[in-house]
Amino acid sequence: MKRRSFLSWGAAGFGSLCAGVGVSLAAVLRFLTPSVFYEPPQSFKIGDPADFPYGPPTFLADEKIYIFRDREKGFAAASAVCTHLGCTVKFFQTDHHFHCPCHGSIYASDGKVLHGPAPKPLQWFEITLTRDGQLRVNKDRPVAAGYRLMVKA
Amino acid sequence: MNPIRDLWQSISRRDPLSTDKGKSELVFLNVWLHIHPNKVRPEGLKVKHTWYLGFITFFLFLVLVTTGIALMFYYRPYPQPAYQDMKDLQFVVFMGGFLRNMHRWAAHGMVICVFLHMCRVFYTGSYKRPRQFNWVIGVVLLLLTLGLSFTGYLLPWDQLAFWAITVGTNIGSYAPLVGARVRELLLGGHMVGEEALIRFYVLHVAVLPSLLVLLTMVHFWRIRKDGGLSRPVWKLKPQKAANLVHIGEPEPEPALAAVAAAPDKTYGLMEVVTGRPIFETVAPEEDEETVFSYPYAFFREGIALVVTVVTVMAVSLFWNAPLEEMANPAKTPNPAKAPWYFLGLQELVSHSALFGGVIVPALVVLALVGIPYLDSNPSRRPADRKWAIWIFTVFVIVNIVLIIVGTFFRGPGWSFVPPWVHVTAGAE
Ligand code: HEM
Ligand code: FES
Repeated sequence: MKRRSFLSWGAAGFGSLCAGVGVSLAAVLRFLTPSVFYEPPQSFKIGDPADFPYGPPTFLADEKIYIFRDREKGFAAASAVCTHLGCTVKFFQTDHHFHCPCHGSIYASDGKVLHGPAPKPLQWFEITLTRDGQLRVNKDRPVAAGYRLMVKA
Repeated sequence: MNPIRDLWQSISRRDPLSTDKGKSELVFLNVWLHIHPNKVRPEGLKVKHTWYLGFITFFLFLVLVTTGIALMFYYRPYPQPAYQDMKDLQFVVFMGGFLRNMHRWAAHGMVICVFLHMCRVFYTGSYKRPRQFNWVIGVVLLLLTLGLSFTGYLLPWDQLAFWAITVGTNIGSYAPLVGARVRELLLGGHMVGEEALIRFYVLHVAVLPSLLVLLTMVHFWRIRKDGGLSRPVWKLKPQKAANLVHIGEPEPEPALAAVAAAPDKTYGLMEVVTGRPIFETVAPEEDEETVFSYPYAFFREGIALVVTVVTVMAVSLFWNAPLEEMANPAKTPNPAKAPWYFLGLQELVSHSALFGGVIVPALVVLALVGIPYLDSNPSRRPADRKWAIWIFTVFVIVNIVLIIVGTFFRGPGWSFVPPWVHVTAGAE
């Protein structure tokens, strides 16, 4: 075999080997990445508008959201997940603020950060009325803090 | 014909231990023991040189493997069963609670000892040439130890576990670009759930322990290849006064540029290869005195093993490993704290997640890895390395202070509460 062809065969062989290893590593990474998330749906019905009281927001534990209902303004859904590191915030009647137990972030009732390490305000989600008259929250549709849904009684 | 003797000699072919040849053969004919040299320098056996901390760390790891395998017989890595199995171990399985305690306390002990071991290696300057790379391996071992603690923390599936891992993995997601993806890979989802539990389980019982075993073998191998344990600092001779500058005196001759091999390297590959070696080897010093590893080294290591195991057992008899209520994603306990050795980190994170959770730890790890390469001072004598010792001591103290603040001075909502003030947990 000529020196030249030996070298080019060698380079081709080594190149293929590297490519093979690269592809295998990528495949391993892809293998470890779930293809389907068996997680609760991000859009769900939360019940009849009449179920929700006026006044302090209702906490839905499984969905980790707070539902606000206001006589003039209507319904709104706020995330209960602290934007710092994901602990569940708690609404306090006494000062009308959300408090995070993990590192002490405090949010105003409109979600704005008042204190602590939280980098962003609490997220608000789209809330709509379904055909059968139920409220539906969609966590895949973030909305601005002022978003409200009026439901005629 | 003596069948008993024949049987014994089929297993062990060494001469009697009363002879020097037998003592050597005990070591080098045995696959486990031959990680030791036949003979060692007696000062390397002194407690005040190594404090046996590396050994104790290793023995704690052995305790963890043994008790961990025992626990695996009763543990199902699925949210509710996992928690039930913990309760079962605690109250139903014969000795289950004791084994769980041993596993938990040995894990804490290992974190403490690996850190102390790192400190002793630093203060004795044992990371210097030719041991730089073994220090780097050590840093990886430290990270693996922390990784094992972190993954193990989720397995009981109680409130403590759930929230520590929720917070911990969210810290990771602050890493620029890859953060969110790393978290998704680690959790197998976007929240701490059953997929996360099985992933942490596999990491905890298979991936990380295998890596730790592999690297520990390299660590031990390197100790021998680096010429055995470093010489205790009290055996080091002061540096030649020639390196000092005397005002008013003529400039001394510049010191030789070549760095000789470490004086404690005693052997090398001989007469097998041709060519010049890159690293020099030196013969043992004339007056060097060595003793047989058997019995001197083995006896001391044996004592360290027994003390370690007995201490873990004693602690496990009197103190139970904590187990809180079952994990409840809707209710964050107040205050929600990470395991104590991460509380320093949590303290930093409570000021800024990106800074405290990503930037500072990354810099600390880089600095630790870089120590042997940044520290260009060849001397190992404490008197010659005051600055290095100061800087490292500050690092150690800052660590300890942050952990103490996080552990004892943080109350509900991470507010500053001194330990002597009693707080009724989480006002509703
Ligand atoms: C799982 C963790 C570790 C185990 C089981 C381990 C084990 C050991 C053992 C048994 C020794 C022999 C002497 C002694 O007991 O001190 C040793 C020496 C050494 N270790 Fe480790 N070690 C670990 C982690 C580390 C770490 C975190 C570092 C540093 C960052 C480190 C750096 C070294 C160095 C440089 C030596 C040689 C010291 C000398 O020659 O005096 N090791 N290790
Ligand atoms: S998770 Fe809420 S303040 Fe850190």
